[in-house]
Amino acid sequence: MRVNGQSVDLAAAADALGVKVDEVAGTRLLDVLRDGLGLTGAKEGCGMGECGSCTVLVDGRAVCSCLVLQGQVTDADVETVEGLADRGGADLQEAFVRRQAVQCGYCIPGVLMSCAALLERVPEPTDDDIRGALDGNLCRCTGYNRFHDAVHDVARGRCAGAS
Amino acid sequence: MTGPARLVRPRRVAEVSALLGGARPVAGGTDLLVQRRAGAPHHSLVDLTGLEDAPPPLRVTAGPSPSLVLSAVAPIAVVVDALDGRFPALADAAAFFASQQIRNRATIGGNLATGSPAADTVPPLLAAGAVVTIRGADGEREAPLEDFLLGPRAVDLRPAEWILAVTVPAPPAAGGYRKVGGRRALAISFLDLAWQWRADDGVLRDVRLAMGSVAPTVVRLRGAEAELEGRRVTPDVAHAAIAAVQADIHPIDDLRASAGYRRRCAAGLLREALGSIDARHPHPAASHTHLALPTTSTSCEHPTCPVSAGDIVA
Repeated sequence: MRVNGQSVDLAAAADALGVKVDEVAGTRLLDVLRDGLGLTGAKEGCGMGECGSCTVLVDGRAVCSCLVLQGQVTDADVETVEGLADRGGADLQEAFVRRQAVQCGYCIPGVLMSCAALLERVPEPTDDDIRGALDGNLCRCTGYNRFHDAVHDVARGRCAGAS
Repeated sequence: MTGPARLVRPRRVAEVSALLGGARPVAGGTDLLVQRRAGAPHHSLVDLTGLEDAPPPLRVTAGPSPSLVLSAVAPIAVVVDALDGRFPALADAAAFFASQQIRNRATIGGNLATGSPAADTVPPLLAAGAVVTIRGADGEREAPLEDFLLGPRAVDLRPAEWILAVTVPAPPAAGGYRKVGGRRALAISFLDLAWQWRADDGVLRDVRLAMGSVAPTVVRLRGAEAELEGRRVTPDVAHAAIAAVQADIHPIDDLRASAGYRRRCAAGLLREALGSIDARHPHPAASHTHLALPTTSTSCEHPTCPVSAGDIVA
């Protein structure tokens, strides 16, 4: 497993988790990231795939890290919000700040990863595309309009930059 | 945090069954890991997502009438992308299936194996006459999906068996899916309907309807199919089919909806499906507007319709 481009030291992660090395495979990816690797960007909200606050990317696709076991992604590239800026997503984070798309912030690491996955697949997403990409991310304070504004800003900026 | 499971990750299809003694197969894990968190027994798990010789997400067989062979262990989002419009009813169901994150992990095999009458990929697969390819210690066997579904949370999987693929005889172009749920995403269906047919100059042929959450398993609506087969959809024909649905289904009251509400919705869903027949749109399922929220009108306006007035207790 690579996390944000780096190979993971499973022995150290096991140590931090307080489990044996061969038990890491059966541990939730969310726990490995947070308690094993100290990457606390992904949050546990519901722990059952309903809220999306634990969203990370596995080989570019948004998944709930509470519903993935580490041993299922041993060959995969995992991206968390901590790696987003280094992997070309700084503009997305800046757009969220500029559009004031953050209030309490708990859902935002997951929302950012869902938006990042969308923008990779669909460079100029429609509002329907954004709605579909965020249908597994619950936000109960800012609301979604500012997420849409931020994603549209990034799409425009990237297209202008590419031309 | 939930304690670790014992997880093994075989690389070969042939290795899996031998590992399943006392263990459960897991693919997307989107149902199993939720049950586990809720206190389900901590089975050892055999991961099906690392099989190097698993079928590709989609294989289209050769020949004049090609079948679609869907991987049961690939994420639903990957299968639907590979289908690229070839199975509109399944694509419509997938569009309203849980959330993006779940679609990126959950598999058709898992959706079938849980045996839920509310499993959203089942109505389109049942309407399409899908056949399940089951792998066991002694090789493969096949079962029609309709026979595979035995009851709530009960399917025809024997010890050490797991689902490898699902084969769909090429579905006709006209097909679709509608779901009634509490909201757009992550809603367990109150009920849902998939349909497919061929419209020959306005005459319906090969009509197949399947409805979820109205019986112990997803069921074909054979009475309604018979009313439609070989006919033009006049108001009288539509009414007869909508009335016939009431004998095809056996809904119960549960946490999500009452039996009476489901009966009204069943009538409404079929009416909306029939309303999608329109010569100007040969692919009526192509739009993504097929979610019916509970506020959708579900009363039949026909003067003699048994489900039209206040005789249904919702």
